[in-house]
Amino acid sequence: MRMKKWWSLLIAAVLVGSSLAGCGSKQEEAPADANAPAQSESPAQEPAGTDAPEAGGETGEAVTLNFWNVFTGSDGDILREIVDKYNETNTDNITINMDIMPNDTLQQKLPASIATNTAPDFVLFGVENIAPYVSNDSLEDISDFWDTAGVDKSNFLENVVDLSYVDGKLYGTPMQYNVQYLYWNKDLFQAAGLDPDTPPATMEELADFAVKLTDSSKKQYGLALPTSVTYMQFLWANGGDADDTETNTNLLNSEENLKTLEWLQDLAVNKKVTPENITGPDADTMLQAGQVAMYMSGPWQINGLNEAGIKFGIAPCVAGSAGSFSPAGGCSFVIPKGTDETKKAAAYKFMKYWLTDEVLKEWSQRNGFPVWSKTLMEDPEIQNDEVLSSISKATEIGRSYNLGYSLASQIDNDVMIPLFEKVITGASKPKDALDEASKAMDAVLGSN
Amino acid sequence: MSKKKKFRPHQQRQAYLFILPSMIILSVFVFIPLGASLVISLLNMNIFMKDISFAGIHNFVKLFSDHRVANATFNSFYFTLFEVPLQVGLALLLTMYVAKNNKYTKLLRSTYYLPFVCSMTAMGIVWSMMLDPNMGLVPYWLSKIGIDSISFLKDPNLAMPTVIAVTAWKGFGYTLTLLTAAVLNISSSLYEAADMDGAGQWKKFIHITIPGIFPTISFCIVTTTISSLQVFDQTYVMTQGGPLNRTETVVQYIYDRGFQTAPYDLGYASAISVYLFVIIAIVTFVLKRFVLNKGEEAND
Repeated sequence: MRMKKWWSLLIAAVLVGSSLAGCGSKQEEAPADANAPAQSESPAQEPAGTDAPEAGGETGEAVTLNFWNVFTGSDGDILREIVDKYNETNTDNITINMDIMPNDTLQQKLPASIATNTAPDFVLFGVENIAPYVSNDSLEDISDFWDTAGVDKSNFLENVVDLSYVDGKLYGTPMQYNVQYLYWNKDLFQAAGLDPDTPPATMEELADFAVKLTDSSKKQYGLALPTSVTYMQFLWANGGDADDTETNTNLLNSEENLKTLEWLQDLAVNKKVTPENITGPDADTMLQAGQVAMYMSGPWQINGLNEAGIKFGIAPCVAGSAGSFSPAGGCSFVIPKGTDETKKAAAYKFMKYWLTDEVLKEWSQRNGFPVWSKTLMEDPEIQNDEVLSSISKATEIGRSYNLGYSLASQIDNDVMIPLFEKVITGASKPKDALDEASKAMDAVLGSN
Repeated sequence: MSKKKKFRPHQQRQAYLFILPSMIILSVFVFIPLGASLVISLLNMNIFMKDISFAGIHNFVKLFSDHRVANATFNSFYFTLFEVPLQVGLALLLTMYVAKNNKYTKLLRSTYYLPFVCSMTAMGIVWSMMLDPNMGLVPYWLSKIGIDSISFLKDPNLAMPTVIAVTAWKGFGYTLTLLTAAVLNISSSLYEAADMDGAGQWKKFIHITIPGIFPTISFCIVTTTISSLQVFDQTYVMTQGGPLNRTETVVQYIYDRGFQTAPYDLGYASAISVYLFVIIAIVTFVLKRFVLNKGEEAND
């Protein structure tokens, strides 16, 4: 009897102990996260051996930076190469630990990690995220960057640098700039009897070409219109808009917008030029598979299309009665609130490295992203680059959409994406969809 | 007698020690989050956890005027009302054939069980690829036999039925295993007696098998209903709540408000969680009253 009791007590103790140990180690992990990489990095720092973790804390020489970003595509590999090269060559003893994750995941982890002081030392994400983070006091004000790091701000296009400013303060350093282009498949143009070197320039031409390029028997579509995105380029082309960020005004309910949406519904529902209900990634795949003749998307398509061996052209977004525009975006390096001064200084050094013409040139040439450094624009190699020169015209029509506005993502998710989805799928008449969206817009703007 | 009394407290203390590990885990993952979400639902709080203020019942008032909550509630019930009968019914029908112990039925049972051990995420991705209207295998086969352009997960009217079918396919093996175990426990003398009386397969199934396993059936119905009302992974992976929010379930909407759409309103998301908790509690109570108890009666 006694033996049994002892045994059961012993087992219970072991069970409790192990479960507590499980919790304990988890707790330890979290706060130490900022310093932990010194250990997890050890394979890379093999020569330094056992004293590597000490070096970080005591001598203050080696700095390890945790760096999160959302570059899950092929551009992420190029980014990793650049970061690896920086780790090897920098003379400041800085090691960058890069962690790539989907944007969804990053947006879940980052705010919580900032609130609990376990955030990475710097982050690279879309400029549309800056404003919400700033309004929650979660990013470091880095207005001193240009002076402290010694980088000439005037060497960069103003509209690109501006994307990282909120209320006159700098919260990020630009990393890349992009607008939406119109991609077209030259082989499909030829097969449809169209000139492979003349992309559509107006909305009428776009519709006309799209119909000619659609062949449902071959599952070939003229124009991919994913339902998970917004089409500001079309609204702007006819002189419409969504909202005025300065005055918090709802601009949706206009004749211009109605006209555009009717045109869009006719194109998608009656003329059936787009595959039904596709997502952005679906459209990417179909463009690469040659199932889609035209598609509006950012520079990140270029590598995939080249790899797939598609003969394609890049044109500016089409013009309507008011001209042609294209929504601009970009990515910036930002520093989460609470990053200590040493790490911040080290992050500045990497940001400065990124802003050298050497790195910017490699990034633009290998990824097809527009050049926004004035000295780099003079570079003959850049001027003779076929892709880069073809996008320079398409880049000029970039227009900012709700950037720096803290409600931007809510407007997209709750108002604009559902609006375009209803119009493109034909679920509601354009007028009804617009009325509903306008009400939703009032609700979002009213919550400010 | 006195000896027994002395002994008991000790025994109980040991018992508490034994359940302590699972209590710790349950507290960390269930009880504390449950309490926390109750508290958070009464606050104005976003994911940045800055400027937290007391909101009273504001989040709950907002919830009842939000048409997406109504839509999500409808979708969750739509899913549950069709998924549970499909999964349990399918398992029940197949039990008739596989509730014997020979090589063939054992192979069949493990085959049916296989999808259940796979992760819903992986299966969701596989199915959404197979059903993709542009590159999927199933629409391709259908087009070969003359049925054209069915876009299962992209069609607003077909998306939910498709998600239901995939979920039932994945889950029925588990239900089948439970039911089969129950059927094998029924005394064979009952079947022998029925054979003597000249009862056919169907009659035996209705009059012996079903009453014999009714407690297990009702257990399956209750657990499947609870998990169905919490449906999330399959819609998240296969449809993201779309098209046109037709597959946006309550949990999917909670996730959207809390983690996908700025301002990442945790207070509001928690209020919807509390709302879902209450719904599930009511449904469970009703089921317990009318299904579980009946099952127990039938057993007596």
